[in-house]
Order: sequence, then structure tokens, then C-alpha cells
Amino acid sequence: MSNSPATHDIEQALKQYVAREILDGKDIGLDADTPLLEWGVINSLEIARLLGFVREQFGVVVPLESVTAEHFKDLRALTGLVASLKG
Amino acid sequence: MQLADLVISAARSRADAPAVIGPDGALTYGELDALANRLARALARRGVVAGDRVGLWLEKSGRGVAAMQACLRLGAVYVPLDPLSPAARVAGILGDCTVRCVVTTEARRAALAAADAPAELAVLHVDSDWHEVLRESADSLPPPARGPDDLAYILYTSGSTGKPKGVCISHRNALAFVEWAAEAIAADSQDRFANHAPFHFDLSVLDLYVAFLAGAAVALVPEGLSYAPRRLVEFVREHAISVWYSVPSALALMMEVGELSAAAAPTLRAILFAGEPFPIKPLRRLRAGFPAARLFNLYGPTETNVCTYHEVTTLADDRSAPVPIGRACSGDEVWAVRADGERAGPGEEGELIVAGPTVMLGYWGQPPQRGPYATGDIVRGDDAGEYTYIGRRDHMVKIRGHRVELGDIEAALLQHPDIREVAVAVRGAGIDARLHAFVVAPPPAELSLLGLKRHCAERLPRYMIVDDFTPVTALPRTGNGKVDRLALARLAAASSSTSGEQP
Repeated sequence: MSNSPATHDIEQALKQYVAREILDGKDIGLDADTPLLEWGVINSLEIARLLGFVREQFGVVVPLESVTAEHFKDLRALTGLVASLKG
Repeated sequence: MQLADLVISAARSRADAPAVIGPDGALTYGELDALANRLARALARRGVVAGDRVGLWLEKSGRGVAAMQACLRLGAVYVPLDPLSPAARVAGILGDCTVRCVVTTEARRAALAAADAPAELAVLHVDSDWHEVLRESADSLPPPARGPDDLAYILYTSGSTGKPKGVCISHRNALAFVEWAAEAIAADSQDRFANHAPFHFDLSVLDLYVAFLAGAAVALVPEGLSYAPRRLVEFVREHAISVWYSVPSALALMMEVGELSAAAAPTLRAILFAGEPFPIKPLRRLRAGFPAARLFNLYGPTETNVCTYHEVTTLADDRSAPVPIGRACSGDEVWAVRADGERAGPGEEGELIVAGPTVMLGYWGQPPQRGPYATGDIVRGDDAGEYTYIGRRDHMVKIRGHRVELGDIEAALLQHPDIREVAVAVRGAGIDARLHAFVVAPPPAELSLLGLKRHCAERLPRYMIVDDFTPVTALPRTGNGKVDRLALARLAAASSSTSGEQP
């Protein structure tokens, strides 16, 4: 995945969402490689909400078969998924 | 009779029938039997003999199921470990019950070594040693010289002081429950069981062993599917699952997000749930969504497996009370004891006491459990002899069916250099249950939720990671100086978190 401006914007929007809606508003230490599942930042309930955000924000519907731990393990993976679906 | 005999006997009568359908492929009973024999020989080569403990730390798989059977065939005791737990916690458990050998992967073994796992530990790698396993003979092994009251497996649960406790289950304990459950749901060889719970969670005992007793197939739900409840519903349909058993919160999510119903999953004929109370609204939806299926509410701490049950038949539209945990099963006797030590009568609250064949041998490394087991659960009996769960008498809570001692989380948080005092409260219930930490961290410390989550993740299972925290200058205390848990619960409930709402 090339780090194009569009990709950067997606990552920033996702990061803000996670900091605001799931964390305590702070994004200290939250970066593209922060392990979201391993550190218990998101779980199955939060993934369902995150999918809603992705749909509204980017107009992208994540297909069921792409809802895997691999795609949600960190912001880099999730950004890559959204960018590839936006095409 | 031993737990190992269930697969051995199904392999004799139904060798070509499917036994386990895992993410790593399907095994017939004949194949599972052969693989268990090969793995048993590979374990024996690593020094495992009858009575030894063997840790299993790997993703859910057919290989993992075969490894359990291999241990039993040697008379060894398997210890299933949470694949999502950090290596440090797993290493602590391996040391606690002094395992002889651990069955795991190369990557996990490296993590254990880095976490100071006992150096003398033998390892059977399910990846790099697999060719060696397949070269072993598949012939039957002589039955081990073990009796029904010997240990079959150990399940570790959260301990109040920060040290996990190993619940020791004998062959008799496990079989008493498995035989009761098979009869209660009328399991037969045409059934297809789903295994949703991880292997270190006692719900998996029903999925695996009731299927094996009936000679039926069990399909293992891969861990990652729980991130997408709709995919869980697809799993049920694809595998034509007839018996489902999970915590209520998983079923609630499958209905809410995955539109689970008889139309989506027509083969489901029995749905069982345990681990936490099922809130009445989603339960009513489940009842309405599956008019023809049998629904069972099962109850029992890990220490007693399942000791009571209630079959949910009809639910009145205006019912707001939770369904009962029901009456004794698995050959057990249950009763309630009031705070003054007298037996509670109908309508009276008391602590539920369990006696009978499913009561554990004891905790590993502690004196044996003698006589009835006091569950710590407060219940109320009715005139018909059915019990209803009221609450806990201590600080144990349930997070999506996982039992959590708040003291276990507090002990881990106290290891944080900036935290002087801490108390954890739980907010909400079922899928909305959240762990809220109140921390005393004097300036200049500045804590972040992400930092605390990371701290927890390095020490605790994933379901014990805190969801929210509030810095406080002092913890609320009662007149005699104890942490005021009621005040904390109120503070947690009142905290204006952005993340506690329903989606």
C-alpha cells in the first residue's frame, strides 16, 4: 500500500474515531501499528460499530468475508482494507 | 469408564463418520483415533507418563482435539490454555501445575521462552514437529492404569489475589455431566454440534464430549469468527449445526447483528446457554425466532461443571423476571443456605451449595475439595424446587460469560509504576458489561486508557482488559476502611463514557 494522501486521510479519520469513540479522547501512543485486538481496544461489538462508521464516512461496505482479525489487528491493516475497497 | 473411551468406542463403531471439523480440516473418528495414538507416542517420547500435566496452548484446531485425546490415552492430564492470553500468564500457569510438556507452535514457544517459562519444559510443536508425529505408529495403546477418580483435565480460572486457580476435574466429574447432557438433549449420531467456546472454557466440554458420546460431528468455530456475528450465523447454516451452546451474549449478538432465527438456521434443534444470566428481552426474541427448537439454560461454576438446568418452554410477553437456573442435574444435589447457616426455604435467599459427582477434586496445589461445594452464588428457590440466580456474595463478576475476579485485575494494575491504589467495578451486563478502573495515580503521572489497556494486555487474558478508567484522588471507603464497592458501582454507572452505549 503506497502512503498516498488519500490513504493518509483514511488513517487519520479512523484514528480519530478510535480515540474519540473507544478510547478516552486521547490518542497518545495510538499509531498505525498499535495492536487493536491484542490490547483489547476493539472487540466484536466495537467492530460492528466501526463497520457502521466506515460505511458512513467512506461509503464503503466491508464484505463479510473481510471481517477478519487480520484486517482489524491495527489501523494500518484497516486503512489498507478501506483504501482497497474504495478503489 | 474413562473420558478417552468416548472417541475410542466411536472409532470402533463409526470409523468413517466425521468427528471433528476444524479450521485445519476434517477428521473422521478413525482418523482422530489414529492421530491421537500418534500424538500420544510423540508425547511419551518427550517423557510424558500417566499423571503428568500437559499444557495445550494453540489455536482451536483438530490437532488440538487430538492432543487432548492423546493425553487421556496416556493417563496424562491436559491443561487447555487461553490462546489469547499473554505468554507471561500462560508461563505462570505452566509453572503452577508443573507441566511436563507443552503442545504449541514455534512462535508461541518463543514467546513462552521470552516470558521465563520453566526451562526444563518439553515441547511438542504442532507445526515443526508434525512430520515426526505422522511417522509414529497409529496402533492402539494399552489403556493407562488410571481410575475414574483420577484427574482428566485442569481448567484455570481467574483468582481473587491475581493468581489463576486450577480447577481439577476427574473422569467421573466430566462423564457425569456429559452423560446427563447427552440424555437431556437426546443427542444422536446424526447431530452436528458447534463448538463456540474456547477449550479452556468449560462450555467446550459439552460440545466435544457429548458429540463423541453420540458418535456425532463437532464443528469448531474459529476464534476470528466472533468478530463478525453474521459470519457465526453463516457458520451455523454452512455446517448444518443442530446443537449450539454458548454464552448468552454471543447469541444476543448473533440475533442483533446477524439476524439469527430458524429461517436463517433451520437445522438448529437445540440451543443451550450458560455462563451468565440471559436478559429477558433477547431471550424472548430467541424463543420467538426458534419456535420448534429446545432451549436450555444451564448453570454451574467451573468447579461443578453443570449442576442445574432449566428448559425454557414458553415465555409470557409480560415476563420481566429472568428465567430460573432451574433444578439439579448431572446426578448432583443442590440446596441453598441462608446467611445464618440454616437451609433456605422456598422464597428465601441463600448461597447455592452443590454435592454430587460433578463437584471438582479441588484446586491444583490446594487441599482436596471434601464434601459439598459452596458456589458463592446467591439464589432463591421456588415452591417447585427451581432456583433463580440473584447475585454474587463476593467480587467475582461475569464479562461476556467469562468469570473474572476483580482482585485479579486490580493486582495486575497495581504493578503499574504510577498507580498507588486501584479498584475495578463492572458496569452494565451481558454484551454491554464493561470493566471500569478507578485509579489513584498522584501527579505528575498522566495515565491514558490506551496505556492501561496495554499494561493489562501484557498480564491478563483479553476479556479482563479494562474498558474505561477514572483517575480519583482517593478511593471511596466504608466506615471500617474497606473499599466501598457500592459507591464504586454507582460512580461507574454514572460515568459519562462515550463508549458504553448500544451501537
